Amino acid sequence: MIECINLCKSYPIGSGRKHVLRDVNLTVGPGERVALMGRNGAGKSTLIKLIGGVEMPTSGRVSRRMSVSWPLGFAGGFQGSLTGYDNARFIARIYDRDYRQIKDFVEDFTEIGRQLKSPVKTYSSGMRARLAFALSLAIEFDCYLIDEIILVGDQNFQRKCHHELFEKRSDRSMILASHSVDVVREYCNRAILIHDTRAMNYGDVEVGITMYESF
Amino acid sequence: MARFTLRRLQEGWRTQLRVVHALMIRELHTRYGRENIGFLWIMVEPLLFAGLVAILWRFMKGPEEHGIGIVPFVVTGYIPITLFRHGVARSISIFVANSSLLYHRQIKIIDFILVRFIIEMLGGMMAYVFIGTVLYQFGQFPMPQNLGLFISGWLLYSFVTLSICFVIAPLSDMSDVLEKFVPVVTYIMIPFSGLFTMASWLTPTLRGYLLWSPFVNAMEMMRKGLWGDDVTAYYNPWNPIVVSVVTLAFGLRLCRHVRNILAVE
Repeated sequence: MIECINLCKSYPIGSGRKHVLRDVNLTVGPGERVALMGRNGAGKSTLIKLIGGVEMPTSGRVSRRMSVSWPLGFAGGFQGSLTGYDNARFIARIYDRDYRQIKDFVEDFTEIGRQLKSPVKTYSSGMRARLAFALSLAIEFDCYLIDEIILVGDQNFQRKCHHELFEKRSDRSMILASHSVDVVREYCNRAILIHDTRAMNYGDVEVGITMYESF
Repeated sequence: MARFTLRRLQEGWRTQLRVVHALMIRELHTRYGRENIGFLWIMVEPLLFAGLVAILWRFMKGPEEHGIGIVPFVVTGYIPITLFRHGVARSISIFVANSSLLYHRQIKIIDFILVRFIIEMLGGMMAYVFIGTVLYQFGQFPMPQNLGLFISGWLLYSFVTLSICFVIAPLSDMSDVLEKFVPVVTYIMIPFSGLFTMASWLTPTLRGYLLWSPFVNAMEMMRKGLWGDDVTAYYNPWNPIVVSVVTLAFGLRLCRHVRNILAVE
């Protein structure tokens, strides 16, 4: 279970402060698939970073009682100057997993072959997405934090993600930041709408979508 | 409950060891690559620095100063100061440079400082052993008279340097101005590092002032450990111990503050 208690986040801007999130309270239980919706700059990524422990809240706290992945998106998590294999080895080391198993899974899932021997900075964004997904799936988290933009891969990648994440691991939780109403409808069973620094909780995805579209 | 806490502590400790190990390999890869001598490059720079300056001094000042060889004297001064200057230089903007790693929660910002420092320290130690062995073959380096004292001096010098890195790293994140001052300050520091002189060569008043510096105390210990009865040394090991513990506590407090406000892309 993940619990956010009175989360606030603000950044210094000029001489004042910009409040991004105020008093966010939410709970994500096992198996829940939560859509995080909101306009550009509403604070979706910030909330994901706080839940993932990448940034610290200004006040309030996050308690994680299940294993939570690092936020999967284009940025972060990788060292650009290292190869795909080196990154996999690094991840295996810090998460205390067997490198050979991870290597096999990554080769199989990414299908980028010899490119894994090149530095990650030479990868296309689609290839980065494949690598990020492969590594996090190989490690097996209870809850995945996903920025939807990285799901916009080619057909083959989407099919694989769908199979690995939504079929084989349907018991896992997920927090998905998304703008796509179709994706939310298809995969999520709850919605959280971030608007004007507040987070609103909708048990019914359709209600959330309607509210989102009304902004 | 007590056992539960102890187990968590052990687990955390193991995780940190794993993380530091992984980060060290990664840092060595990104910095030196796998070509030619690879990670052995970490000792080349202190080696060149100490070696070339020693040769320069040898020709400028003759073979001996105050009864001890000038070459080993310069070497013993330059390898520690290189550790200090590199350690500090490497700590600047260290959090920003590594921020993408903070996506993995088990990696803490103090690991970054620790890892870079350990690499510098290993490089310095390897260079020291290498150059000492080579010079000894030519009769230019003393056999350590008191190895324990020498190593204690080196460890204290390193500990002081590490504690300063723990302050510089978060400060460089809080203020951009700091970065501009660090090179000149580390340069001005040289006379206060015990590099050029031993305390016994100075007037008592000057010596009194210089012995406030934790670096001088640690340096005196190292040199006393090497030359034994051939030199007179003045030192108080409590000076570097107290200075580094206080600095470290302050630095950890600053790191905690910076972690809370750090923005990660």
